[in-house]
Amino acid sequence: MPFAEHLAAGLNTSIAVGFRVTEAKSESPRGQDEGAIWDLPRTVYLYRDPSSATLRLEEISAYLETVLGLRCEIRDEFFVHHGKEHVEGLAKRIAATRVRDILRPFQAREPMFGEVQFELRLLRDPEKRVPAILYDAFEYLALLRSLLPREEATLKTLHVAFVHRLLGTFGQDGRYHARTVVCSYPSLVSTSGLVEAPAKPEGYYKLKAKLSLALGTVPFEAAKEPFEGQFLDYDDDRMTEVAKGYALLAAMYHIAKESFCDEPSCRLFDAHTQSELLAAQVASGKLCRPHGALAERIRRSMSGDGRQV
Amino acid sequence: MPIFGEASEAEVTRAILSGFARDLNDYAETEVIVVGGGPSGLTAARELARGGVRVVVLERNNYIGGGFWIGGYLMNTVTLRSPAQKYLDEIGCPYTQYSKNLYVTPGPHACSKLIAATMDAGAKIQNMTSFEDIVVRENNRVAGVVINWTPVHALPHEITCVDPVALECDVVIDATGHDAYVIQALEKRGLAKRIGEGGMWIEKSEDAVVEHTGVAYPGVIVTGMAVCSTFGLPRMGPTFGAMLLSGKRAAEVALKELGRKPRKK
Repeated sequence: MPFAEHLAAGLNTSIAVGFRVTEAKSESPRGQDEGAIWDLPRTVYLYRDPSSATLRLEEISAYLETVLGLRCEIRDEFFVHHGKEHVEGLAKRIAATRVRDILRPFQAREPMFGEVQFELRLLRDPEKRVPAILYDAFEYLALLRSLLPREEATLKTLHVAFVHRLLGTFGQDGRYHARTVVCSYPSLVSTSGLVEAPAKPEGYYKLKAKLSLALGTVPFEAAKEPFEGQFLDYDDDRMTEVAKGYALLAAMYHIAKESFCDEPSCRLFDAHTQSELLAAQVASGKLCRPHGALAERIRRSMSGDGRQV
Repeated sequence: MPIFGEASEAEVTRAILSGFARDLNDYAETEVIVVGGGPSGLTAARELARGGVRVVVLERNNYIGGGFWIGGYLMNTVTLRSPAQKYLDEIGCPYTQYSKNLYVTPGPHACSKLIAATMDAGAKIQNMTSFEDIVVRENNRVAGVVINWTPVHALPHEITCVDPVALECDVVIDATGHDAYVIQALEKRGLAKRIGEGGMWIEKSEDAVVEHTGVAYPGVIVTGMAVCSTFGLPRMGPTFGAMLLSGKRAAEVALKELGRKPRKK
């Protein structure tokens, strides 16, 4: 099976990972909902992905404020704020999170000199996008978490980093699967993952294979043409709308540990395919009734007691 | 009245010998050695020669051009995705547009034009020469290559117990395709480790190959398909655009390594 289909043929494309962070003892901005303890953030940071021309964080920030009452601060790319003071060491650590074999669990190894050079180039030019490389989501997440300064690494601070690197996790079926979002601390939304992780229409893969056999190469534009609009593409106008839902998912997971929804028209639905993703995030663009009510209670908690800075 | 002018057998032999000796003397110590005469290696060599760099291409086969003569499945139409067709303009090779971003040209035409353009630019080519090993200097920096005649490897050891010779240089470019022989030589010394190619993912791999083209080890730049197996990138399939642009990128990196300014466009 070609590499791309390998990665996209996963059953689920999002992942929520339990996390533990240092929590200050006093004035914890926690709310409560029917016995469940919420972690209401005082500060929310959204990190840009400079490689995505159609990702508009201002709109995502406004959306999170409307739905959850979160006032967000927009930051440049994550590494501009964290870790770039030792850029060569950072490049080496990023390179060490690359997946070498998508059919084997992650194995730590010393990165090659050239891999480090490649990451250095990407760090120096974050507008570049090279989605053919897969990074282990857990390793990458651990790296980003380790870079957070102590004062920001608490449950009072929510970090949602939009990243261009393609992240994957090794599944029980013995292979890696690309991910759209990793809900953890910090939470990561991969813009490449939004395009690559959910499976595209089956006909697209068939047409691509057919054209490949006939021509010896693939005219991608020709293969995409019959399926125009049926899947999210790089620099797609719908990228921001889709990303809103995944940022919301990350925020609600942080606050209420509420992860995915089974209702296909809910924005928290874990889309397996591009058609499901577009149905939940663009055609519907709403939360289901229970999650809508939960979001409303969070919004009231955020604005009602004035705890948020 | 004979058509051709007179020249003795001995004169012909001396002419071959002196030409070859002059070239070998020149590149026994040179600035860049490109190992592998496929499309990426030739492009790198052409760009470097145009920038005034002394460069030689080593090719183990008698023919130069690697897989560029043939497209996929032994069909000799080669394909390139935009913007790689612009390089065909540069070397004067005609092509036709197949679809929005895809261009086709006969492999023999493109390959012969590229070989000619490389030599016209001033690069030397040494064919029937196999790469055997690397020359390593202080701090394990690669500073040259060990070579031998290809036929030496093709015959039994008892018949051809021939010691190799070494060439010195500032930068080695590994353009040996899937095998990445230079990186393999580093691997044998425990200095590097290839990851091997991933599955085929043409849509993304061409970008990845160009973006990963660069210094893989101090003194060694990888280009073309050698990039895939060195860094474990997805395979590309029979598209050649990345080979040309990777070769260009390799030349840019080599110029930087040599402390030279890129040629003005």
